[in-house]
Amino acid sequence: MISQTSRLAVGAVVFALLCTACGNNGSDTASDASVATAPPAPSVTEVAEPAAETTAAATEETAAPPTEETATADPTATSAIDPALIAAAEAEGTVTVYSFTSRIARVEEAFEAAFPKIDLVGVDISSTEQITRIKAEVDAGNVEADVAYIADAPVVLTDLVTGGYLEQYVPVTAAEALPDEFEGPLVAHRLSTKVLMYNEEAYPDGSPVTNLWALTTEEWKGKVVLVDPLQRGDYLDLFTQIAIADAEMAAAYEAQFGEPIADASGAGERWIEAMLANEPVLTDDTDNVNAAVGALGQQAPPVGITSYSDRRDNEDEGWALQVATGVEPAPGIAYPALLGTLKGASHPAAAQLFIEFMFGDGSSTGGPAYEPFYVAGDYATRSDIEPHPDAISLEDLGAWVIDPVEIAAARADVADLILLNL
Amino acid sequence: MRSRRLLEPITLIGLFLIALLGWIVAWPLVQMLRESLQAGAFSEVATGRLSSKLLWEPTINTVIIGGASALLAMMVGGCLAWLVTMSDVRGRLLLGILATIPFALPKFALALAWQTVFRNELVGSDRAGLLHQAGLPVPDWLAWGTVPCIVILAAHGSALAFLLISAALSSVGGDLHEAAELTGASRSRIGIAITLPTVMPALVAATLLNFAEGASNFSVPALLGTPVRLQTLSTRVFTSVETGNTERGFALALSLIVVASIALLVGQWIQRRRRSAVISGKGLRRGRVPLGRARLAMSVGAWAIAMCATVVPTALLILSSLQRRNGSMSEGLTLHYWIGDSDPDVDQGQSGILRNDVVVDAIVTTLWISAAVALIATLVGTFAALVIKRSPSNGTRTALSGLTFLPFLIPGVALGAVLIGQFGRDRGPIPALYGTPALLVLGGAISTLPFAAQSARASLAQVGDDLDEAAALTGSSLLRRLRSIVLPLIMRGLIVGAILAFIKMARDLDLVALLATPTTTTLSVVTYRYASESFTQLANATTVLIIATSIAVTLLARRLEGKASPWNS
Repeated sequence: MISQTSRLAVGAVVFALLCTACGNNGSDTASDASVATAPPAPSVTEVAEPAAETTAAATEETAAPPTEETATADPTATSAIDPALIAAAEAEGTVTVYSFTSRIARVEEAFEAAFPKIDLVGVDISSTEQITRIKAEVDAGNVEADVAYIADAPVVLTDLVTGGYLEQYVPVTAAEALPDEFEGPLVAHRLSTKVLMYNEEAYPDGSPVTNLWALTTEEWKGKVVLVDPLQRGDYLDLFTQIAIADAEMAAAYEAQFGEPIADASGAGERWIEAMLANEPVLTDDTDNVNAAVGALGQQAPPVGITSYSDRRDNEDEGWALQVATGVEPAPGIAYPALLGTLKGASHPAAAQLFIEFMFGDGSSTGGPAYEPFYVAGDYATRSDIEPHPDAISLEDLGAWVIDPVEIAAARADVADLILLNL
Repeated sequence: MRSRRLLEPITLIGLFLIALLGWIVAWPLVQMLRESLQAGAFSEVATGRLSSKLLWEPTINTVIIGGASALLAMMVGGCLAWLVTMSDVRGRLLLGILATIPFALPKFALALAWQTVFRNELVGSDRAGLLHQAGLPVPDWLAWGTVPCIVILAAHGSALAFLLISAALSSVGGDLHEAAELTGASRSRIGIAITLPTVMPALVAATLLNFAEGASNFSVPALLGTPVRLQTLSTRVFTSVETGNTERGFALALSLIVVASIALLVGQWIQRRRRSAVISGKGLRRGRVPLGRARLAMSVGAWAIAMCATVVPTALLILSSLQRRNGSMSEGLTLHYWIGDSDPDVDQGQSGILRNDVVVDAIVTTLWISAAVALIATLVGTFAALVIKRSPSNGTRTALSGLTFLPFLIPGVALGAVLIGQFGRDRGPIPALYGTPALLVLGGAISTLPFAAQSARASLAQVGDDLDEAAALTGSSLLRRLRSIVLPLIMRGLIVGAILAFIKMARDLDLVALLATPTTTTLSVVTYRYASESFTQLANATTVLIIATSIAVTLLARRLEGKASPWNS
């Protein structure tokens, strides 16, 4: 009887851990939001082009240029927002938000506390489902939602924005604090990461990997864990980013092996082939990656690619996850979560008010509105929200901030390359 | 001889159903075809340099997994059904209940039970199973990939097979058996010559449904196949859509439909070869077959299967909802996640699910939506089955067979998009249904139609035409004959179909995500929310609630069935 009980207990442990895994599966979960929009400066023009029309229209009609000085410093949540916008939104009385993260439930509470006359209806569905729904709704002329909070930027920006389904709204109260590259074609709310992580208990002296090319060597054969990049857009974005960063990958190759790579113009693709040939362990879900990499008490555990913000679960789950810094050329990517209004939305003012609200109150933590998103390892796009005290800054992390348009152009080919090499 | 009067309404109903289903089921397929063709996805998938990785290898895996799991489920479910309905196996009644539960279990719960025992250290040693911990090496083929996928899908499908086959078995009158016994036939001879043919339609229906379910399942091969690079058509469909290559995903989904259609044709061919109409009115009550010396062994075997497929996965799920700390027994158990008050330190202050108004509302929503879906699916499925059985037109029969079998092979994304497109705005007499619960019910009814239709077809195939024709000769109307003759005879099968549709809908997430309105928060939506916030215990507790609801409905339906079909007591 005793042995049965303990068996059941062990079983339950495994089971429950796996449940967590399952929970994350197939959805863009809170901790690994996926989207990508932060183009580095050179590509801004390119990015802005297709959305120029909508941008102009949106700003003209709604947002006076952000001249109010108080906008970025007001400690009370809402007073910086244009009273006319609030009045219009209150007249509409309700706002429906499609959100890829369940944290919308907490935003709803905060929003309704700030604007008791407006009912926020949060609908929690994945980015893929949002894309389907938004297209179908707009095409049918029956637009249920007013705002989309959505990841998967490469698909969103190419499919939804250029198709005119989603429109840009730059929050007036945050515009000054928002770097240009995060304003369009859709405004980026925050950045999540897919980066190299290691076990800090087993490797107390820092990351055992300091160059991405090390993952292609015998030392890490069969010891890199990640989610199948064909199953998850954010992982595919990382591979695509590596594939297009040929110059950096070529330089890193030389740093790792002491000689230049033969095919410098295809360095990124050569890395993908070599890395996939080195028997990486693929799973269906980030939680499996976290446990394999992070679990305490391991000898020589593998490294893995996952979200920096998952480190916050270390204590609860019994992990020792730590982010790898000082990796040549970069430890991974940072990609945006986007906010846009639906074309033909029935509550346009409330939609804009919601986007204003999402960007926080201008304080250094963003206040109650931003609180659900103020976690270590996620990065606010607003420059006046300080990095979480438990996390290193985005600069120190050194991750590529992806340009979704550039990624979108190359993604399908990279997916095929991966397909051929798996 | 067929009555002329019978033909006319049947033809009308047939045409109406083809028009209706053509509009709702075939249209998504046409759209998928159009989009894939426009993008040139077909040639890329079928002939490009990627084709073997993209289409051919996954197709082979799909056929193996779908076919093997369907056959295994049919055998296991069939044996259990025979033992429970026909023999004196020990604990029949409880066994009969337990055997239906795996269908209500989420497949991940079954997969986790498997991993609890067989998982090896391929993906980290931290979560390895009992065998590995006991020092026994578990080979990859047993821990991951095709074999576990087949076993898990078969365990899940065995419940469906059990329900369909036991309904068929209990419709078989004792008269035939007694006649056979009187002529001195051996028991095995009776089994092969009499029992098997009478349940053949149910065996075929169960196998077809399980094949489609196994072939289209994504979660099990993703969970257990990814580490060993196992790919099926459904994982390829999912990954294509998920990474933004929708056209390619549709091309692959259509390939999956082709594969399933071949299975459907084989099934129809088998059914056409044998005429199995053997029940006619009131049969003798038959006695149970004594198992004799095999009774103990058979009982142990049957109970072992029920334990592995039902009790253990359910128990693990319940236990994990009671753990104070997720995945850990060392910090003890708690009922907090069930009945606890809000505690700001636990799961961001979420109260226990039974004290959460959202969950309580979701129970009600789940019940009425699933019941409405089951009712409509059963109604449409029954009429479709009638037409398929009686229509003189080959084209009508084939069209309806296909239209009622294929819906759950259509990816949720495609079905949802087309439904929104067609019902998003007013169209003549049909108001815009999108944004109302009605569209969710309609979509659910379509996606669960295969269960209802196959179940009704299997029951109808058992019913002889003699009674109906006799009644027709005396001038009874079609409706009256249906109500007083056919319906009572097939009621058991219809209820099984309704139960399957209900449970499928109660678990569904894909369609709900696309068609949900703010007022249609079902339990599956609640589970998804908890899971995506990593509130594992709350998610598992809610899953247990879905299972409990499903079991309660199953039991209730079986009670009703006793009243509704007095002939089959």
